[in-house]
Amino acid sequence: MSERREVAVVGGATVKFGVRATTWPELAQEAGLGLFRAVPALAAEDVDSLFVGAAEPERFAFQSHVAPLAAEQMGLTPHRILQRTELACASGQSAIRSAYAAIASGLSDVAVAVGVEKMNLPSMAEANTAMACVMDRPWDGVHGATAPPFFAMVAQRHMLEYGTTEEQLAAVSEKNHRFANANPSAQFHEKTFPRDKLLRLPLVAPPLRLGDCSSMTDGAAAVVLTHSGLVRRFTDSPAWIRGTGQYSDFHNLANAGSLTDWVGLRRASAEAFRSARITAADLDLAELHDCFTISEIVEYEALGLCPSGEGGRFVADGRSDRGGDLVVNPRGGLLGCGHPLGATGIAQAVEVFEQFAQKVDPRRQVPDPHWALVHNLSGSANVHSLMVYERGG
Amino acid sequence: MAEATVVPVKKKRPAEAEPAGPGAPTVPFLLDFYPLEREDQTRLAAFYAALREGRLTTTRCRRDGALHWPPRTVCPKCHEDAVDWVDLPTQGRIYAFSAVLAGAPLGMEAEVPFVVGLVDLDGAPLRLFGRIEGSAWAEVRIGQTVRVETYTIADGRVFYRFRTVRAEGPAAAVRPSEGYL
Ligand SMILES: [Zn+2]
Repeated sequence: MSERREVAVVGGATVKFGVRATTWPELAQEAGLGLFRAVPALAAEDVDSLFVGAAEPERFAFQSHVAPLAAEQMGLTPHRILQRTELACASGQSAIRSAYAAIASGLSDVAVAVGVEKMNLPSMAEANTAMACVMDRPWDGVHGATAPPFFAMVAQRHMLEYGTTEEQLAAVSEKNHRFANANPSAQFHEKTFPRDKLLRLPLVAPPLRLGDCSSMTDGAAAVVLTHSGLVRRFTDSPAWIRGTGQYSDFHNLANAGSLTDWVGLRRASAEAFRSARITAADLDLAELHDCFTISEIVEYEALGLCPSGEGGRFVADGRSDRGGDLVVNPRGGLLGCGHPLGATGIAQAVEVFEQFAQKVDPRRQVPDPHWALVHNLSGSANVHSLMVYERGG
Repeated sequence: MAEATVVPVKKKRPAEAEPAGPGAPTVPFLLDFYPLEREDQTRLAAFYAALREGRLTTTRCRRDGALHWPPRTVCPKCHEDAVDWVDLPTQGRIYAFSAVLAGAPLGMEAEVPFVVGLVDLDGAPLRLFGRIEGSAWAEVRIGQTVRVETYTIADGRVFYRFRTVRAEGPAAAVRPSEGYL
């Protein structure tokens, strides 16, 4: 096997997330605008490859073949690898992992990973139809399985098996919304969610309330990656990709096994930490997939940040907050930023890059971070995808 | 002067097609959530034929005995295609459930609120997801008994769902973490 090249994220940008008066192609243009402004040394002709994270443009935007569409919108002419990556909620990270693989192998020298999702439609039932098709459509989606009732069952079992409380769920939401207050690109920037207010919001899928669920969000984000030989052309503070892991063991809900012990995440993170030669205890910050409050709690446990069943206490005690063991979701998480499926994983990588460069709002800046983890689950937590970043400089 | 050629329409559009036989479903013009069930559309047509008779079935590998869900044409364990249809129990117990109170997909908006859950079938190593009818969500309990029932949609296709056998206890107008576990 030939030697693997070292790869880093060397810049990126996130557009304003929210209910946007804009279309899918316009979001792609905006991501390109943000990227070229954020990385002044980057020229369009440098970019040999483009990976486009997009979960469901067929339904949300009535458009397929979105990779060349995005290239055109961003003013790029990829000549090595051009492809869309689709992995539902992890489509964005999938684009970064593909770019990483292409550069590490030598097939690409400079690659852009962009994620775009337009989710707010005139009929939100149509948007929810797209979400139900993330599940095994003719067997699970047909019954009305979307993400909220599935993760509600996870929460119900976690409450039953471990005594996790609604107050502990609200602690996740309060923390992530508080960080989102310090992130101008977040959907819920400048909206406050104290815990008592969160506990009074309407139920969406019991026991999950509105504040326990991430939103249907329009958004886009882009990063540029390159190898060690070219990194200094673009930045003095690269975010090196040191490890990665992924695991998938089922799709139909009948084959899920335990709802509260995410074995796939245990396996994927073991591989991510092994390849980066670190342990969970080394992490300074983690961008975890808090599509629902309960997700973040189960993830603490599967990542080994705390023992099984103690995730609720972990957040309630402030151990995932500033001043705790590590800071989880300083960007504001999916709960505070919104969750445009294809863009989320890329916006998380942008956050890691900017945290390493120590140029985010001081209210969410992690002091002197060195190791960061990005995690996305997709579908019914049946796929887990992770990347470990190390601060360069 | 030659007359313009009129090309005869050879096939009716699917939406206008006649049913394949008495009682057979018509074909939807646009795909929806429900599976296509006919023998000319799926190799699992026997599953829907059995559902019409009130039987819930699935496939079992003739080689290694693996019981599949959903039913399959190729065993994922041994990768062979020798599978037999077997009847499944039509009663089970709720392992976990929730309710869709908002955010329903197209065609399900009028059914809100509705209950969904995972059900452990009695006497079979399968935990199936499905719609649960028969009780308001606040009255449903983990461990509650449900039975499988077949229902028919407007175009004649059939599907399965669960129905609570009995509601246990009074309605729980309390906080969900205390009330419905
Ligand atoms: Zn077999």
